[in-house]
Amino acid sequence: MSLRLRLLLMIGISLSLLWGGVAVWMLRDLDNEMRVTLDQRLALSAQMVAGLISQNPAAWDKRSGTAGVATLTGPAAAKGLACQVSSLRGEVFARTPGATSAAIATTAPGFAERAINGERWRSYTFVAHGLRITTADRLAERNTLLRDVMVAAIVPFVVALIGSLMMLWIGVKSGLVPLERLQQALASRAPDALTPIPDTPMPRELQPLVNTLNQLLERMRVTISRERRFTSDAAHELRTPLTALKTHLQVARITRGKEAETALDYAEEGAARLQHTLLQLLTLAQVEGPFSWDDGHSTHADEVARLAMRDAAPDTPERIVLDSDGKPAELALPQALAVTALRNLLDNALRHSPAQHSVLLEIQSAQDTVCFRVYDCGPGLSTEELTLVTQRFWRRGSGRGSGLGLSIVAAITERCGGSLELMQRPAGGLEAKLTLPAAKSAQL
Amino acid sequence: MRVLLVEDDDLIAHGIQTGLRARGLTVDGVKTAAQAEATLSAVYCDVVILDLGLPDEDGMSLLRRLRAGGMALPVLVLTARDAVEDRVAGLRAGADDYLLKPFDLDELVARLHALLRRAAGRSVDVIEHGPLRLDPEHGEVSLHGRRVVLSRRELALLAALLHARGRILSVDQLKDSLYGFSEEIESNALNVHIHHLRRKLGADVIETVRGVGYRFSMVNA
Repeated sequence: MSLRLRLLLMIGISLSLLWGGVAVWMLRDLDNEMRVTLDQRLALSAQMVAGLISQNPAAWDKRSGTAGVATLTGPAAAKGLACQVSSLRGEVFARTPGATSAAIATTAPGFAERAINGERWRSYTFVAHGLRITTADRLAERNTLLRDVMVAAIVPFVVALIGSLMMLWIGVKSGLVPLERLQQALASRAPDALTPIPDTPMPRELQPLVNTLNQLLERMRVTISRERRFTSDAAHELRTPLTALKTHLQVARITRGKEAETALDYAEEGAARLQHTLLQLLTLAQVEGPFSWDDGHSTHADEVARLAMRDAAPDTPERIVLDSDGKPAELALPQALAVTALRNLLDNALRHSPAQHSVLLEIQSAQDTVCFRVYDCGPGLSTEELTLVTQRFWRRGSGRGSGLGLSIVAAITERCGGSLELMQRPAGGLEAKLTLPAAKSAQL
Repeated sequence: MRVLLVEDDDLIAHGIQTGLRARGLTVDGVKTAAQAEATLSAVYCDVVILDLGLPDEDGMSLLRRLRAGGMALPVLVLTARDAVEDRVAGLRAGADDYLLKPFDLDELVARLHALLRRAAGRSVDVIEHGPLRLDPEHGEVSLHGRRVVLSRRELALLAALLHARGRILSVDQLKDSLYGFSEEIESNALNVHIHHLRRKLGADVIETVRGVGYRFSMVNA
């Protein structure tokens, strides 16, 4: 249900119920008051007649016993009102034209209600000075009067209610205009538009909503542009070795002999680079993604070092010197991840060290961490470069490698709660310190 | 045709160089923007192949700077970035053509010839001069409708002279269009090639302007 409809219904219904209740209450009160007032007037008129008679009782006494009825003449307007004066024995001395003989039948003093000639009358009988004075009201007249009063009271009421409902409708409509404007502004946006919602004047209540929306849009924009950048970088990284591969294959086709052979060798090198980049990309996606590793959740540090060294330098194992503290340490992460992280560090160290130099790998186990340090004798990195190395696809100059190695290490440490630190060695070269969490069982 | 290749990836640079040489082009390869600038100011080139991802400077800004400095050589941009914005930015920066990696070697060669042709103000690739006809892309030369077989260097020499359209080319300029700067040149190599061309196409095809250089001078053989 729309907010506007809900507001309208809620306020409208409660307004109608409230005012309706008040109206009913008021009408009932009015009805009662009217009846009481009219009865009082009836009684007062009878008493007034009695008062008039008491000023000259002799005139009435003289008439006693004489037959014939004196007819009081009253104004025509009082046709709903009747009056009759009679003796206690029932002789009628005087009556208004509208009153009929049947009315006289009333004997009991006080108020009474009865039907005369099919019309209902309300009467009041007053006994004084030996006379019975009866005044009567035709109920139909009374009801007409009552209805008129009620209508006069209720019509402004209804008009006011309808008026306030209309005001309510207009008020709600105009009150919700900013919301509607916001909705239109959102609906008319291009599906991929990530620019903030324009900062038009807005009610205070909507401002937090718009601010939150804009923050969300900004976060999405940053994320999407980062992903786009990554995709574009990945395409670039894959295209480059593919280009080398394709170009050399074409060269191999148009050349002969040694030149063609060299071209094929280069093509193979291109294919190897393509494969390496693809594997690194896949590894990164796996490490960063929600994938699980099915080779257990702990592994021996020495085993990790052995596998990583074998992978990093399959042909020249002597280039890596291992210095382990010999303590059996168990790592609290899947073996594949630990080996990948360490191998990438060793790869980098070997790549950047002169061919005749070896790379030193140190393993130290502590209370709940295992620390791998890789020292190389390469050119090292500047302070500025140290902040860039873990960015995807960053590499110095046009160096070899996919530019993903350290990104992968950083992603692995982030996933398993370890850390990666790179430091320039005072003596030249780089020290990479990889700290990985140790399994608790190793300490037992 | 002498091509300057600015590409930082050794593997790709080597492939392009070998491929273009096999197609009869003279190629010099450099790896950085600084080297490219130095080479362009020192030697004569017909066309530049520019990779955008250079280690020392973005290829685009190098191109912009070169164009601002008045370099009018045709430039073919070679890049792995395929977004439309990248291509538009490349062309705006002063590139004459844009080729996306990975490319076809034959397409690269065809585009280079097209660039050179446009730079020379011709609408077709084949250069005709009187009875002489040269198809640079296929390396075919004919005189009076008869096919003349020329070596790669002779072809490059003839093409350079024809492109000059009667202007005198100095010995150094001719050597530049024949040899990459990494190639060994024997002192009389140019004379040998000129001698061979004269023998195959007629003695009057190349005029020696003493002390200055050579020019194409076949008036009407």
